[in-house]
Amino acid sequence: MAILEARRLCKTYEVDSRRITVLDHIDLQVHAGTFLVISGSSGSGKTTLLTLLSGLDRPTSGQVLIDGLDISKASEEQLAPMRNRTIGFVFQSFHLVPSMTAKENIMFPAELIGDARAGDRAEQLLQQVGMVHRRDNLPSQLSGGEKQRIALCRAMINRPALLFADEPTGNLDTENGKLVLRQLIELKNEHNATLILVTHNPDIARAADRVVTLRDGRMAE
Amino acid sequence: MGQWSLIIRQVRRSSKQAVLFVLCTALSLTTLTAFNGFSDSVARSLLNDARKLHAADIIISSYDPISAPVDRMVRILAAEAKVKRADIHRFLSVVRAEDESATVLAGVKVVGSGYPFYGEVKLASGRPFHGVMAPGACIVEQTLLDRTGLRIGDRLRVGYATLTIADVVLSEPDRPLNFFSFGPRVFAHADDLEALGLISKGARIRRRVLLKVADPLQVDMMAARLKAVAVKDQERVETFRTAGTRTKRFMDNFFFFLNLVGLFILLMAGLGIQGTLSALLKEKQHTIAIMKAVGATNRYLLRHFICLVGLLGAAGTVLGILSGMGIQRALARAMAPYLPADLHLVMAWSGIVEGVVLGGVVVLVFSFLPLYRVREMRPMLIFRKEAVSGTAKPPYYLAAALILVFFFALVVRHMQDVRFGLHFVGGICALVAVVALLTHGLLFVVRRRAFANLAFRQAIKGLFRKGNATRSTILTLSVSLSVIFANFFIERNLDTAFVQSYPEGAPNAYFVDIQPDQKEGFLRTVGTDAELFPIVRARVAAINGIAINREDERKKRRDNFSRVFNLTYRHHLLENESMAKGDRLFRSEWSGPQVSILDTVAEMHPMTVGDTIRFKIQGVSLKVRISSIRTRTKSSFSPFFYFVLPEKVLEKAPKTYFAALKVPPAQLGAVQRKVVSRFPNISVIDISQTISVFTRLTNRLSRIIRGFSVFSIGAGLLILVSAIFATRAERMVEAVYYKILGAGKTFVFKVFALENLFIGTFSSMMALIIAQAGAFWVCTVRLDIDYQWQVFPSMVMAVSTMALVVAVGLAASRAIMEKRPVSYLREQTDG
Repeated sequence: MAILEARRLCKTYEVDSRRITVLDHIDLQVHAGTFLVISGSSGSGKTTLLTLLSGLDRPTSGQVLIDGLDISKASEEQLAPMRNRTIGFVFQSFHLVPSMTAKENIMFPAELIGDARAGDRAEQLLQQVGMVHRRDNLPSQLSGGEKQRIALCRAMINRPALLFADEPTGNLDTENGKLVLRQLIELKNEHNATLILVTHNPDIARAADRVVTLRDGRMAE
Repeated sequence: MGQWSLIIRQVRRSSKQAVLFVLCTALSLTTLTAFNGFSDSVARSLLNDARKLHAADIIISSYDPISAPVDRMVRILAAEAKVKRADIHRFLSVVRAEDESATVLAGVKVVGSGYPFYGEVKLASGRPFHGVMAPGACIVEQTLLDRTGLRIGDRLRVGYATLTIADVVLSEPDRPLNFFSFGPRVFAHADDLEALGLISKGARIRRRVLLKVADPLQVDMMAARLKAVAVKDQERVETFRTAGTRTKRFMDNFFFFLNLVGLFILLMAGLGIQGTLSALLKEKQHTIAIMKAVGATNRYLLRHFICLVGLLGAAGTVLGILSGMGIQRALARAMAPYLPADLHLVMAWSGIVEGVVLGGVVVLVFSFLPLYRVREMRPMLIFRKEAVSGTAKPPYYLAAALILVFFFALVVRHMQDVRFGLHFVGGICALVAVVALLTHGLLFVVRRRAFANLAFRQAIKGLFRKGNATRSTILTLSVSLSVIFANFFIERNLDTAFVQSYPEGAPNAYFVDIQPDQKEGFLRTVGTDAELFPIVRARVAAINGIAINREDERKKRRDNFSRVFNLTYRHHLLENESMAKGDRLFRSEWSGPQVSILDTVAEMHPMTVGDTIRFKIQGVSLKVRISSIRTRTKSSFSPFFYFVLPEKVLEKAPKTYFAALKVPPAQLGAVQRKVVSRFPNISVIDISQTISVFTRLTNRLSRIIRGFSVFSIGAGLLILVSAIFATRAERMVEAVYYKILGAGKTFVFKVFALENLFIGTFSSMMALIIAQAGAFWVCTVRLDIDYQWQVFPSMVMAVSTMALVVAVGLAASRAIMEKRPVSYLREQTDG
């Protein structure tokens, strides 16, 4: 059964009273445990598709179903717990809360649901990505690769079924990029999560179970 | 993770915005707390010293001779040794040197033995007042000696008597010397009252009987007994606890205006709270988006930011209360001449609690909208693809309604007057609405104009930068400035109209208390054909059959029916009068007594032609029907009368005459001497001098009020600074890109300076227009005086405002302007 399904997904924007179609009737089914790469050239709508699939944004028309539940019409209050428990995010620009330490950033999603073991889980994840020694540092004190590893831990702390990653290595050098990707896949496998990753890096695409390519808002497989 | 430690860290990261929020909260409370504390201190001091300030336990006051029943009861109580009595007569009279070489209008106070029962009349010699104040002697204020050249031991003519100056009075318990008065004090002994010969029928004499009650527990009971026999509407019986004093009345009125200023500042600072919190949350919106992206609910975030706002609000409240204490001291220094000498400034716990509660409510009310917007921040913001969508209309309306209700409740609580509250809040709302509309229109036009100059164009674009708060800044500055400017324009116009250039042809000397048998002699003495206005003193007892409640009337701040009025009779309009309702003063088709009223009377109480008024003239009732309503075409020093009756109605009533003359200033002294040496009971008032003294006092008070109003500008400037900090990133990008593209530091400076100059110019120009329009209306319609546009002061104020805004704006942008492109780009890469 598909853990994630997109049905005739459209997204349009109005710019200066002109209508721009970013995604045009996308249909997609993703099965549990899959590593799916969404690729495409710059401006093809990759990130937009990711934001719609993850419930960060709403489609202009069409549906997104996670575990059979239509999230395209869900309210913010309904989406929040889903983002917290079912979904994990890794962004190109890391997006760590600047006023929290590395460990606090990781713990935050678990603390939101009152998980008493949040601290232990965070420590465990820090250990897995080799960042225990940086646990008390603020994001401003970390390098790009370190920030992304912390972001990765944060994404995994609530053991999400779906992991969305938007160009997770885009801001990193080759070595750090490889390290982050390896750890991302390791964590995905360990938790048997479904990974949906946006990239235009063909090397990453080669590691995926399935690749879909976007071109002018339409999907090709 | 401790939520508080996260909050503290977030505050630290946004320390500048947090400081601005704290300052706005403090600003909103500081003046109101200071004024409340100060007014409490004064009230407490007046209450503690109430016996001293009235010099007695029970005070019976009247403009007429004390009635027989009251007099009889006081005599009985005195005979039973239950009370001690001292009679006081106060009136104005021109006193002269024995050789008639100098004359001065003085406030004569004739006091009986025993005065003052409490407190002390301090004399320059240090001797006790009772020992000096003997029959045949008088005690005078130093000013009188200065003006007449007389010395202690010299003889002074007061009325028909000649008294020896025995000492100089430094202070008296029941009148602070620095209060506005027509002339210096002269104390005379009650035994000389007859010899003075100034107590004639119809003359304006304030009589008081002071009683010292042997048993303090009996004060209220005795006052009640005296009240029961006193003549209603004529005699007032009060205890030291219930009676008002001039100090209290003066302070009440002053605090009324100060409270208005405090409330206005609170509103402006409230807008500042809203502006700075919006800016702070804008800075945090990325964090909010991240938190939402990882599953934080709105409820969680709201709780988090309420804690943050609460923490900052608490700091602001503490700062506001502390600075309020400081301002209280400054206010006490500025007001020192008018306050009880031993005023002890305190900040009572009740005041502190009130400040804390008020601080909490202010923060809550004005934070509502920015906090509500947290709900609307979407996690998509992390991709910077979606700006915060505009707040839906209902919360906006709810926030506006919340602020309005809160402000109205606060005004009513402080002013104790619902009607006034409605007018005040309505006025402020109208002002804000007009400014908002003008700002909208102005920005709409500016945005659509194409400007050739690049720096100019970029500066205009900067005004519309997201999160720039241009509208809020201009609105707050304009509203604050328009109130300050208008206050200044009105003061200057009053000054110009009455002080700097005394109106040409206007009378400069009033002659009062001319007795009917002195008319001919008086006219011969002054040597002109002056019009003598008959004056009959009366109270308004009822309007349309409904009795006037004097206690309620007394509570009104404007002119009211609690006082005694001067009625006159004539059958013609004065030069500066015209008919507002009716075509002539009296109607021949009506039988019975009629009265023509001035439109001012109809403003004091709704009444129109055909309505009835019942007067009380020395105990006699007179019911009249309103035949017409007059209006004054120009304010001047020419006499005017609220009530004009036909001659036949008043000719038999006890009356005096009044004359207003234009006398060349150089001759005024001689004319005064001539009149008073022949008619010692006639008082001459030098209007130009009186106006100068009065204006000095009002100008001082006006400056204090305006000085505090300046605080409201602080709110506008804080919003400006906060908006600059909130748009730091955008400004930084602009500045760096300008530099990367080859622009020099000067260009960047010019763009930022111009942007602030636009804000300053829009604000000051709008404020000037509104202030000029408002002041013009007040001066020409309400005060009936010519209006001068005060062009030079306007320019100075406008330029000062622009300079201030540019200076503050540039100071806040200094770090942004100085940012080196390379370090900025490195930061971005490190992101």
